[in-house]
Amino acid sequence: MDDYVITVLSNIGMISFIALSAYLLLLTGEISFGQQAYFGLGAYAAGAVTAMLLLPIWAGILVGACLAGLVAMVVGALTLRLSGLYFSISTLAFAEMVRLILLIVHVQVEVEGEMVGPAGAEGFHGIRWMFERDLSLVQFMLLIYGLLALVLIVLLLMERSRLGSVFRMLGSDDLLAEMQGVDTVRYRILAAGVAGVIAGIGGALYAHFTTYVEPQFFNVMLGVHALAYGLIGGLGTAFGPLIGVAIDVGFLEAVRFIQGYRMIVFGGLVAVLLVFMPRGLLDEERVHWLRTLFARRSHARSQRR
Amino acid sequence: MIDFIQNTVDGVMFGSSYALLAIGFTIVFGVMRRINLAFGASIMLGAYVGTWLHVHYQVPVLVVALTTIAGTVLAGIYIERLCFHAVRRDAALASMVSSFVIWMQLEEASIHLLPERTYAFPGLFAAGAYELGPFLFRAEQTTMLVVAAVMVGVLHLLLHRTRFGVALRAISENPLAAAYMGINAAWVVLCAFALVSMVGGIAGYAILATDEQITPFFGLWATFKGLIAMMLGGMGSLPGAIVGGLLLGVVEANALWYLGTEYRDLSAFLLLFAMLVLRPGGLMGQRILGREELAFRRV
Repeated sequence: MDDYVITVLSNIGMISFIALSAYLLLLTGEISFGQQAYFGLGAYAAGAVTAMLLLPIWAGILVGACLAGLVAMVVGALTLRLSGLYFSISTLAFAEMVRLILLIVHVQVEVEGEMVGPAGAEGFHGIRWMFERDLSLVQFMLLIYGLLALVLIVLLLMERSRLGSVFRMLGSDDLLAEMQGVDTVRYRILAAGVAGVIAGIGGALYAHFTTYVEPQFFNVMLGVHALAYGLIGGLGTAFGPLIGVAIDVGFLEAVRFIQGYRMIVFGGLVAVLLVFMPRGLLDEERVHWLRTLFARRSHARSQRR
Repeated sequence: MIDFIQNTVDGVMFGSSYALLAIGFTIVFGVMRRINLAFGASIMLGAYVGTWLHVHYQVPVLVVALTTIAGTVLAGIYIERLCFHAVRRDAALASMVSSFVIWMQLEEASIHLLPERTYAFPGLFAAGAYELGPFLFRAEQTTMLVVAAVMVGVLHLLLHRTRFGVALRAISENPLAAAYMGINAAWVVLCAFALVSMVGGIAGYAILATDEQITPFFGLWATFKGLIAMMLGGMGSLPGAIVGGLLLGVVEANALWYLGTEYRDLSAFLLLFAMLVLRPGGLMGQRILGREELAFRRV
């Protein structure tokens, strides 16, 4: 595999984290335009831990994920009262606040004769953990996909558990959920926190993959793309957002002849898709259909035996 | 104190353009209960077509202004058909995401039209300034304030004195009852889109003529300012959009003066976030909320 393919695959992996983060909130019925804030916080925190405190990468990822999760829970608690468009705009406002604050923050320390740390609009350079350890791109890609698989397994297990049903219940009718005795406040904050953690992990990986981050990357475009991926791929399963990312980053990046017209093609395709499938390719109905199909097959096979 | 008053005056002048953008969002939200994220991009496409004509064929300024408005209206109709009319009634989320991807589409189309980073944008008349006591007024900004005031007046008459206005308000109040009264909702909504696009096109032209330049960031800028101003005033409220726009302009002008450039946008978003957390209905929209959603405790 050449470096280009590995880079594209790694990008798909890292963007998948933020797509999954937005997807989790979509399940609970919340449309967040602001998951890029947690991606950015994770990136900056993880970068600070490895490049400024010189700790290993797992500490960076842990700190990035925890910080993102904590902030997400605080924001979740503040915006509990809001839903629908009000919630969406509040997340957008918060994410832009984070981005604009990162543009102002100047905290640098001297590491081996060089100044390292966030430098406002110039970004945070010198997150070189991966190169100092002589890690190859392939190895780092495996790290990305290892963590992605972990997150995916957790999400898939969650969807089969009571927690998953509660989240979907909040999404379809939270008043009804509350009448069923669900503590909606707790579950909403929990969902916000988990979504923040997932985005934070993605950000931590991103900072180390690119070796430098700048606030401009975490703008609203990233967040709305993350949201769109879930809707394109489908809201029926956690694989949905991954399909969305693969279509956008993978397919369109790879097809060279539409370069420069990418958004025109992608935009048109998605708009038409949403007319016919408002909940994406793999929506709940189709997932159910696939599941019964699969179950019937395996059932028939066991009968034959 | 003189600084503060001067900032506030500047803020009100510039805020009037935010108010016009906010009116575009609030009318669409009022009738559809949806947000058209591509609103800013549609204005940008119109303005780009106008500038393109000006750059390549040196058309007169009046033609640029008319093309900007006409282009915005056409883009608005395209958005309405594809993202709102065609998408299922119960899928508000799909509409919003769809309008977002169309935003990206229009933006890329604009950039293909004029690939450079900035272009000069022709104003209707030469710039000037006049003094009134210790305060300075810029002529174009005063024009913008007048344009905004006239348009708000015309819109008010349109919404309260014509059959179309009554139909629009009826749909906004209760779509089902409006349908029973024989109102053709699809047609009224299409007209509403054309109307707000026209308002947006005029606002866009006024803003760009004041800036004297156009960049590819205009779409994002217009969408953000319009959205913030609408939310500050209260979603779905016409007076709210105006108050919200003026408030945003005043806050930004003062933040710029006292704190510096980097705090200008930050103050706007901070104000918006605080407003949503403390008073989600905005300055004037609490009543709209109260009627519909306060019964469910969450708004």
